[in-house]
Amino acid sequence: MIQLYNVTKKYGGESAAVKDMTLQIGKGEFVYITGASGAGKTTLLRMLYAAERPTKGQILVDRKNISRIRSRQIPFLRRKVGVVFQDFKLLQSRTVFENVAFALEAQGKKRYEVSKKVYQALKEVGLEHRLQRKPLELSGGEQQRIAIARALVVDPLILLADEPSGNLDQEVTFEIMALFQQANARGTTVLLATHDHSLNQRFPRRVLTLDQGKLIGDQRPLQG
Amino acid sequence: MISGHYRVELSICGCLRLKLLETKLVELEAPAVLDKIRYFIMRALRNMRQWPLLCAASILTMAVALATVATFFLVVVNTEQLALRWTKEIQVIAYLQKAPDQQSLAGLTKKLKDIPEVETVQYVSQADAMKRFKKHLGEDASLLEGVNADLLPASFELGLQAQYRNQAGIASVIEQLENYLDVDDLRYGQQWLEKFNKFAQSLRFIGILLGGFLLFAALFIVSNTIKLTLYARRDELEIMALVGATMRFIQIPFMLEGAIQGVLGGVLSLAFLAISFVFILSPSLNSFWLTPTDFNLQFLSMNQQIIMVFSGVVLGVLGSLSSLRRFVRF
Ligand SMILES: Nc1ncnc2c1ncn2[C@@H]1O[C@H](COP(=O)(O)OP(=O)(O)OP(=O)(O)O)[C@@H](O)[C@H]1O
Ligand SMILES: [Mg+2]
Repeated sequence: MIQLYNVTKKYGGESAAVKDMTLQIGKGEFVYITGASGAGKTTLLRMLYAAERPTKGQILVDRKNISRIRSRQIPFLRRKVGVVFQDFKLLQSRTVFENVAFALEAQGKKRYEVSKKVYQALKEVGLEHRLQRKPLELSGGEQQRIAIARALVVDPLILLADEPSGNLDQEVTFEIMALFQQANARGTTVLLATHDHSLNQRFPRRVLTLDQGKLIGDQRPLQG
Repeated sequence: MISGHYRVELSICGCLRLKLLETKLVELEAPAVLDKIRYFIMRALRNMRQWPLLCAASILTMAVALATVATFFLVVVNTEQLALRWTKEIQVIAYLQKAPDQQSLAGLTKKLKDIPEVETVQYVSQADAMKRFKKHLGEDASLLEGVNADLLPASFELGLQAQYRNQAGIASVIEQLENYLDVDDLRYGQQWLEKFNKFAQSLRFIGILLGGFLLFAALFIVSNTIKLTLYARRDELEIMALVGATMRFIQIPFMLEGAIQGVLGGVLSLAFLAISFVFILSPSLNSFWLTPTDFNLQFLSMNQQIIMVFSGVVLGVLGSLSSLRRFVRF
């Protein structure tokens, strides 16, 4: 599903944020990306949804080479890739329903289709009773669940999450992990960048470890 | 693949089936397009309702900018009109050494009228000249009692066609005059004309310069206001791009919003303009001592008013588009 070949990303002149990275992630995998602050986790994810272009190397997503993707093609890549952030990135001026519907409307989906799907997606994250609230009236965990519903409502092939639980306590973090696992169980490939090693202990999955832009570890849990 | 499918069905079931398929396709397409249009309009209106202050700021800036440019336009147009009125007063007066007798007068007048530059010919006899002079003196007219009626010379007053009310025109008229008349003296306000020409030229120059500057300033301010309103909504733009909206999908509601604001701004600017016209422009131009009392100040014509509203739309749409590029980067 995702392949990187000798990918390097430099911002400006100095040292690279991602260095000569080669890796493969198969369809339906669940992968943690860990590493110290500044290791290049965010940079890696940003290249996967074409917010950045690699300085060198090739990136393939869903068999398409996106390393030199044209601007007008980017929206179509992003329809296959859901993204979740630490700071949720919800629209405060819109209701919960509108926030989730936004993703479908942006793809030009029809109205009756939109309301049905939004309701389903919110039900899956357990927030169907909060439809008409504004994000700021909700807790951090609830807001992140809305963001996840927005990412998943379009049935993406890939879900990218950049420290999605960075601001949340452990209990809420586990709730959110459960949502990612549900999505993964339905076939979505999940990449989750995190500092939190307890996640891997509790939900052991493949772990990619970065250090100063280099891939220094790729461990899979022992099949048991 | 689809067209192959069609052909098979056609061969089996005939034309009718194909027709049916076609109408079905059309029916499916039409609501989708309408749906989109409705979505875009709704989105634009909602945005405006959600950010009433930003929206008002855009409309107001556009209105003020347009009204300023248009006010200036009116000042220039009216001053030019006024200047044109003054040139009507330009005439060549030929004082005659000897008043022509009754028979030759008609022929002479006709000859003068046939000079291509000449529009009007007015003969002022010695008696007429005296009458005018008496009128001019008013109460002091008694001074002239007993003065000979042929004290003042007879003259021809020649009014010129509009396009010849300049030095070259006058020179040409004078040259031709001397073929027909025994002229004693000529008056044609040479110096005044020179001054006037310079004035008219500099008026036009300043007009173009200042108008261009104003237009530029208006564009700058409007585009900056729109940029500011988009800056306040950059999250929305960022998220739209994140969830896979195409550039066009992002642009259309903002363009519509710009267009709606442009119409409102244009109409409002007409109101501003009317107010400034009635309360500032016309009193100040009318109080100008050179303005003839029967001078009609011009407001924008219907077409110009439509152009103004239309410029508002163009301003709004272009302003939105150019600013959007700064915030939506793929
Ligand atoms: N937009 C940018 N411009 C310049 N340098 C950048 C930019 N984004 C990241 N970097 C640099 O690239 C390196 C990797 O940053 P990145 O954000 O990918 O790390 P990270 O692993 O996500 O860190 P964290 O755990 O703190 O989020 C860092 O040295 C950072 O300073
Ligand atoms: Mg990061």
